[in-house]
Amino acid sequence: MIAAVTEHLPALVVITPLTFSFILPPLGRRLGLARGLVIFSAILSLLGAAGLAFLVFTNPGASISYQMGGWAPPWGIELEVDSLAAFFLLLVALVNLPVVLAGRKNLTAEIGSEGRVIRFYALYLLLIGALSGMALTKDLFNVFVLVEVATISCCALVSAREHPQAARASFSYLILATLGSSFVLAGIGFIYISTGHLNMAFAGDALVLAGQSSPRVLWLAFSFMLVGFGVKAALFPLHIWLPDAHSTAPAPASAVLSGLAVKGYIICLMKILFTVFGPALMARFTVPRILLAAGVVAILAGSVSALLQDELKRRLAYSTVAQIGYIFLGLGLMNEQGLAGGIFYLAGHALSKALLFLAAGAMLAATGKQKISDLAGLGKKMPVTMAAFTIGSLSLIGIPLFAGFVGKWQLLLGSLESGSILASAGIILGSVLCAAYLLPVVRIAYFENAGPAQVQNPGLAEKLSLVLLAVSTLVLGIFPGPFLELALRAARDLLGCC
Amino acid sequence: MQELMQKLIINYPYLIAVILFFIGIMTVLTRSNLFKKLIGINIMESAVFMFFVAAGNIRAAAVPILDEADPQPVYINPLPSALMLTGIVVSVSVTAFALALIVRLYKAYGTTDSRKIAQLSREGKKG
Repeated sequence: MIAAVTEHLPALVVITPLTFSFILPPLGRRLGLARGLVIFSAILSLLGAAGLAFLVFTNPGASISYQMGGWAPPWGIELEVDSLAAFFLLLVALVNLPVVLAGRKNLTAEIGSEGRVIRFYALYLLLIGALSGMALTKDLFNVFVLVEVATISCCALVSAREHPQAARASFSYLILATLGSSFVLAGIGFIYISTGHLNMAFAGDALVLAGQSSPRVLWLAFSFMLVGFGVKAALFPLHIWLPDAHSTAPAPASAVLSGLAVKGYIICLMKILFTVFGPALMARFTVPRILLAAGVVAILAGSVSALLQDELKRRLAYSTVAQIGYIFLGLGLMNEQGLAGGIFYLAGHALSKALLFLAAGAMLAATGKQKISDLAGLGKKMPVTMAAFTIGSLSLIGIPLFAGFVGKWQLLLGSLESGSILASAGIILGSVLCAAYLLPVVRIAYFENAGPAQVQNPGLAEKLSLVLLAVSTLVLGIFPGPFLELALRAARDLLGCC
Repeated sequence: MQELMQKLIINYPYLIAVILFFIGIMTVLTRSNLFKKLIGINIMESAVFMFFVAAGNIRAAAVPILDEADPQPVYINPLPSALMLTGIVVSVSVTAFALALIVRLYKAYGTTDSRKIAQLSREGKKG
């Protein structure tokens, strides 16, 4: 029994959330049971991801390959658990559990009836399943299918609230995201016609030849992939859907959309860029420089836009645009330190931003107000929530002892190694701007006097989820060892494969 | 020039796919009517499907059903067509979901014009 589970673990990690998502809707209005099942599936995912991460971590250089349906790689769909996949799987599971725990009272208040909350959870699990699949899959067309599953469930999560604003944000997200998927699919088509393979490793080998005979097709494939995934990952000029979508979604959905969904697309882009095209071809088409420049522009533009927002959730949403820039910058550095920094920062940002959105959701639910200036005095009234928010802010700014610092430090090391002054300046300036837009929130909450208005403190489950995320942010910041090692190994695999 | 024209004419499915793709993008980006945006998305996706199916086709090749008694030298590549079945399913679900959203938007704002909706929601925020 245990042997069978271990053998099929890579597939089970993807299938478990999907199965639970299909069990949920027939439950009707039994919310308690549904929540129990969702939490159970989150725990199962965490165990599975931890098991896989442990297996990968203890066997350096080896990766677990799983053939769907027993068909061998060039024809069948291959799932591969390498360092990058294990890293992202563990991250998904780590963010998933607290987010599931969070939305007990607030979610019902935000979305409406219990039946709607159950449907919300069904879509949520669908998204988690798709993200886990995106971490593992090695098949290009499978990437497209999972990306579409993730996109539709993201859009549906955004539209979960009754508010017309939610439908509007969801529609523009859907249109732009589908535009992006068409680009991705066309890019996959270009790779397929020039190599004849859909498996990433095989396509990568064949592309080396195709790169000499028909470079123009590859140039097209590159640009279609970059634009397609750029729209989906909200890379700066293509980010316009993100602020509306992430700020109108219910708090747990915002946490997952900002923390994980956007990252899933980046993981796919990373795999396609590095394993299919390979560093040599990327350098030939100046892709690293494009990524680097796009990253720096995103950091600066996103941070400045965040400064201009006076609604808390919108400010956090724009901050995501800026932080995505850091990850793209890491991709563009093309050295081990920088890429590992980008990968680690992906985790640091996912945990901190999920923490920030959940804390913001709790604060908004307590006060019923959206403006940052309305949060005065909350530091005393909601100590746990505000402490969590502060930890998230400090981590995102990049203060030592928090997860964000390790990622930013690695990025800085990488940028110094590559000798790019632009990148180093962008990283530091982004941190300063990040402090400028997050710390005022903390200051207003702790040091300004509040009116006598009573606030509704979050329940035990909400507090527990905030504490869990805060603790993982701290643990990742103080003992980054195994995680950083996984990120470094992933970077080495990605850079050294061709 | 003539050579290029000839190539384009021989590979006309690709040419049509490219034209359709751009018609789709232009429709999505320039039209303010939500239905037209959705139609633009559908045109774009059809263009990509057509591109794939054209890539699988080989002129004068046999239907890809293996007959042991009568083997053919060249078969059409059936894989892209099979992939596009999945693509069409995805496209249908996106369309259905988008239509549901349009219904909700129409109920809330009484129009399907995205500019008017943006204006109404700005006014709603102020009021």
